[in-house]
Amino acid sequence: MLLALLAGLDLTMSFITLFVPLQLIVSSFVGYRAFGRRGIGDAILVVLTIFFSTFVLILLLSVLYSVITEGAKAISFQFIGQNNVYVSPTTSLDYGGVGHAILGTLIVVLLTTLAAVPLGVAMAIYLTQSQSKTRNLVRTFTQALSGLPSVVSGLFILSIIEATQMGRSGITGSLALFPLMLPTVARVAEEALRLVPVDLRYAALALGAPNYRAFFQVILPAAKSGLLTALLLGLARVVGETAPLILTMNPSSGTNLNPFDGGMTTLPTYIYNYLASSYQTSQARAWGAALVLLMVVGILFALARILGKSKSKKSKATK
Amino acid sequence: MSQSQTKPQRRKLSAGPLSRGDKWFFRTTSAAAHFAFVLVALVLGFLLFQAWPVLQSQGVNFVLGSTWDPDSDPMVLQLGPMLWGSLLIAVLGILIATPMAISMAYLIVFMLPKRWASVATTLIDLLAALPSVVLGLWGLLVFTPIAAGWAEILNKYLGFIPLFQVTDPENGFMRSPFIAGWIVAVMIVPIITSVTREIFSQLDRDLINGALALGGSRLSTFRRVIMPTASSGVVGGVLLGLGRAVGETVAIFYVLNLSMEINWMNLVEPHGGAVASWILARFGEASPLEKQGLMAAGLVLFILTLIVNYIANVIVNRAQPWRKNQ
Repeated sequence: MLLALLAGLDLTMSFITLFVPLQLIVSSFVGYRAFGRRGIGDAILVVLTIFFSTFVLILLLSVLYSVITEGAKAISFQFIGQNNVYVSPTTSLDYGGVGHAILGTLIVVLLTTLAAVPLGVAMAIYLTQSQSKTRNLVRTFTQALSGLPSVVSGLFILSIIEATQMGRSGITGSLALFPLMLPTVARVAEEALRLVPVDLRYAALALGAPNYRAFFQVILPAAKSGLLTALLLGLARVVGETAPLILTMNPSSGTNLNPFDGGMTTLPTYIYNYLASSYQTSQARAWGAALVLLMVVGILFALARILGKSKSKKSKATK
Repeated sequence: MSQSQTKPQRRKLSAGPLSRGDKWFFRTTSAAAHFAFVLVALVLGFLLFQAWPVLQSQGVNFVLGSTWDPDSDPMVLQLGPMLWGSLLIAVLGILIATPMAISMAYLIVFMLPKRWASVATTLIDLLAALPSVVLGLWGLLVFTPIAAGWAEILNKYLGFIPLFQVTDPENGFMRSPFIAGWIVAVMIVPIITSVTREIFSQLDRDLINGALALGGSRLSTFRRVIMPTASSGVVGGVLLGLGRAVGETVAIFYVLNLSMEINWMNLVEPHGGAVASWILARFGEASPLEKQGLMAAGLVLFILTLIVNYIANVIVNRAQPWRKNQ
């Protein structure tokens, strides 16, 4: 391999063309010595598995690594707090920030959540509690909706905007995010409700409770953490959406707290706007915003995991 | 029991009508649930309504032709290269991602010790939630030079294969479907890995232990026990990834040089197409008529993902009978 490096191939190519085949041959040899002919196949499988897995892990971790190292250069309290009203592409990183984008994300996602979560949970209730014959159809349609490309959802709301002359604002952005969040929340909430043992419901009904009381007073508290997971996963899905918001919202550099009027910027659209600029500072801002976005998604995910784990621990304790 | 005792009378079990509260409960949730129908119907309906004039005037050439000229009279809007480009990039992404995802899942379930396996699982699930714009950022600024280097090497040494030929090597390889395919692959690997890992972990351990006890090796167990049993589920996961790959917009937006010259097979040629990115690129300065054409493009994309997801779900549900809905 050193010879190949000296011969001018760069590290990656020499790795692939020499190291891996060499590894394959050596391990096949060892496998043959240890296990006979079938040892060769085993050895090749193991080497290839480790190679592919490491390769993909390196790629994925490189994404995290780049975001963290490049974003750390731009991040500071001022970056998280300020907005970009007086910032031009050449302003140094000491001024301006993503404060307005964070607020925009919060507002738009909050509006979407207010609509999507009750509806999604109601759908999950219907799917698990009722005995209707159209349940499978509803499930199929929810799955169909979950495959909606985000850009098509934006197009849909855009067509409504143009038909009704509504004008773009934060609320149109959350309307565009709504069909994306709804199926996720519905699916995870349904799984959460299904995890509740059915005996609890039967016991409540046997004690004379009507269905709705059985649900609200027995099943809902038991499925609380699962439903919270549904909320968090829906949030994580929608927080990073770019394309629908580009189509349905105007960006702004200032803080705009009114979702019904005027433009609003969210973290993903902020990144999108600064991404392809040729100015170093703008690119650094994009990395910083990406880091903030990643932290938000990471926190949501960690919360969902913790809730999921504590629930399984509780159920294990009662067994 | 003496025969002089009378038999207890049969009790009449009556299920009365639902109480008022229950009626309200079931009716509200039913209305909410059927809202999903309404939403899908609305999306399709509105898009169809806006796109119909375009589809009517362009006919079948909308998906087959390769001219997009909103300024000509009559307007010619044809999506062919973009559609092919989307499929090409998606297929490329899947070809790259599937071996990696299956190896990752195999590693996690069958080779790693428990603690590392759960760490890896958490990591993969977290990476599945990476926003695509972050991947686009990384793809443009970090990955493109590296992948362009690979493309150059492929062209230099394997250039006799039509796949890797370019019209002009001096142009550089910076914006080819090759790079876009790699970025899409990185994006869908976590999804496929999650689904595959779940299927592998729910395989019956007795089957595998039985195969090993009968003298099987790792490879033979994998080939003859694990893969056949898990194959439908894995195919379902791959199709889910395909659905996501086809709808990918921002991640490959900056990485691809969108051009209407259809690029059939030259992976490293620096131009290509993708429907979603095309919509994003053109809607900014589109005239109202062109916007209708873009809506038609969105409709085509939606129908494509509907078909792919439907097939995926049919396959996955058939493969996992324990997931059958009650």
